[in-house]
Amino acid sequence: MNAREQRLGICSSLPLSALLLLTFIAPLLAIAAFSIMPAKVFTLAHIPDFSAYAEFVREGYWKSLAWSLGMAAVATGLLLVICWPLAYAMVRIFKRFTLIITLLVVMTLFVSENIRLFGWVITLMKGGLFEGYMHSWTGIGFDGLLYNVPVIIFGLVYIYLPFMLFPLTQGISMIPDDARYAAADMGANRWQIFKEVELPLAAPGIVVGSLLTFVLAAGAVAESKLLGGQAVIVISDDVESAFTYGQNWPLGSALAMVLIMVISVLIVVTLMKVDLDKVMGKVK
Amino acid sequence: MKKLTRREFNKVLGGSALMMTMGLPGKLLAANSKLNILCWEGYNTDDVLGPFRKLHPGTKVQAESGTSDPDMINKLRAGEIRVWDLINVNQPWARNQLFPEKLIKPLNKEKFLPYFEKMSPEFAKPYPWAFSENADLIGMPQRYGPFSFVVNTDKISRKTAEEVGWELFLDPKMKKRYGVLTYDNWNIIHMCITAGLNPFEKLDGVGMAKFKITAKQIFAGSKLLSDDLVAMNTALINGEIDAYFTGGTYTASPARLDGLTNIRAITPKRGPIDGKGGVAWIELTSLVNNPTPSPLAEDFLEFVQKPEICKAVGFSEGTYNPVAQMGSKAVFKLWNKEELDAIQWDSLTEEMERCLEYDQVASYDDLIKIYSAAKRS
Repeated sequence: MNAREQRLGICSSLPLSALLLLTFIAPLLAIAAFSIMPAKVFTLAHIPDFSAYAEFVREGYWKSLAWSLGMAAVATGLLLVICWPLAYAMVRIFKRFTLIITLLVVMTLFVSENIRLFGWVITLMKGGLFEGYMHSWTGIGFDGLLYNVPVIIFGLVYIYLPFMLFPLTQGISMIPDDARYAAADMGANRWQIFKEVELPLAAPGIVVGSLLTFVLAAGAVAESKLLGGQAVIVISDDVESAFTYGQNWPLGSALAMVLIMVISVLIVVTLMKVDLDKVMGKVK
Repeated sequence: MKKLTRREFNKVLGGSALMMTMGLPGKLLAANSKLNILCWEGYNTDDVLGPFRKLHPGTKVQAESGTSDPDMINKLRAGEIRVWDLINVNQPWARNQLFPEKLIKPLNKEKFLPYFEKMSPEFAKPYPWAFSENADLIGMPQRYGPFSFVVNTDKISRKTAEEVGWELFLDPKMKKRYGVLTYDNWNIIHMCITAGLNPFEKLDGVGMAKFKITAKQIFAGSKLLSDDLVAMNTALINGEIDAYFTGGTYTASPARLDGLTNIRAITPKRGPIDGKGGVAWIELTSLVNNPTPSPLAEDFLEFVQKPEICKAVGFSEGTYNPVAQMGSKAVFKLWNKEELDAIQWDSLTEEMERCLEYDQVASYDDLIKIYSAAKRS
């Protein structure tokens, strides 16, 4: 490609690039700008006072943030443990059956998240599938399994499973069989092969899957609302309340910005610590 | 089969382009003939919009259902004033926020005042909240209802609930036996009343402290929080809770129409404000101050006064509510016995008499902070 073609290519892509930049960045900039405005204003024509950030600390909104991040971390850890054997089997054992599992998992994404969660509500509620049948068959009833923190985490694990499973499958498929055989030939046991060979070689998949699920779970709200009965208030719920019932756009924007900033820092720190090129065996 | 030549293909393409161009002015005209309605569920159903579309063929009539009053108002504030022609919200929002901010505009009094004469007595006066402070007519009332709390009468009798009133939720025996429907603006009003305070007057430090204690106690004693009335009714029906804080005929009616008449909206017999302990909502539909308004906006407001459309609005999918137009015999006769029972028609008048008007909470900014903190704790 000569220089003229390259310049023409850049020029041709400019309008679409500008449009994409505008549509992705403009809403974020608007949120950032609103977050520094005084409370209860609906335009940006005011002197910034950062009071919404002070309110975040003063009114204890950090608790909601801590719950969101904490539950997202637990859900990510659980997903890693659940998805590893499944992903491993999809790559190494299931062969043709892998396609069926992939289709089944992908198909769940075609159904709205709320509908899938409502399915669990009628399964887990008092008089629902579990308690209802148990009560009917044994005469023993209990109080339903909804409205607590574990069921919120269960909801997060259920909804975000595909976002961990597929990157992990990709990661595990990058482990050459020869490396495992060589390790075994050298006398490594199953645990050593897992720890010293498979885990490092699958690291790109683990990192991508963990980041995806953590970021999505940290911003999730439906699981807490529908399954958890708001046993804890998550930060996204506070953002929604501030924009609607609170009629406090700057506070809602500040809460959203804090979540964005915390997650961005976590991602950057993680990516700085994990050298993807190195773990993928690329020479710098 | 004859092969399509390039020349023939181009002829068809050119002809189609010409036809599209010729049809364009008509399409542009049709685009101008539109009506966009931002409303609570009900006005957006085919039972309401279908007959109006038939009356105005070629007009694009669209309605979007909002999830809360403030959510709908946010849309207008965010610039959608150019999109919507009509907005349907609860009474204080129109007079206290939409009209002062010039987001809605006055209605033609000559055209609309006569409709009040056919309404139920409490609206026929006519209804004061339909007017701005300078006496402009700012919206037409239709659906309404008392809104306090809901109980399962198999567990807590109607008599007990009405006598005990809001203190029911402070009773230690009720701990973990009730839910809180998180309609936050309503909860703030109701928590004030539970604390013996008047939410529509400015609160002092002592009042704020009382509100804080009450809010914390109610959230601490609740088994579940949800902004979904179906979830709340389900928990009530399957016995997970015996009552829920904040609710009314609007939330109880779907369960009642399904035959579960043990689910009942309660209006306390007593309260701290002139002896009243209940609060009522009345929806107003107003003309949006759209710079390019639909010529059909006022026509639609007149259209929904027709008896069969009043019924369709009152008995739309999701929730069932009385309408102000039931004061007219022609409208009232459209409701059957089960439908009247679903909206608790037997006690509606006395319950409305025990209710205050849903108004703007005077110390809302401070109270929502205390409320939100109590919800998180």
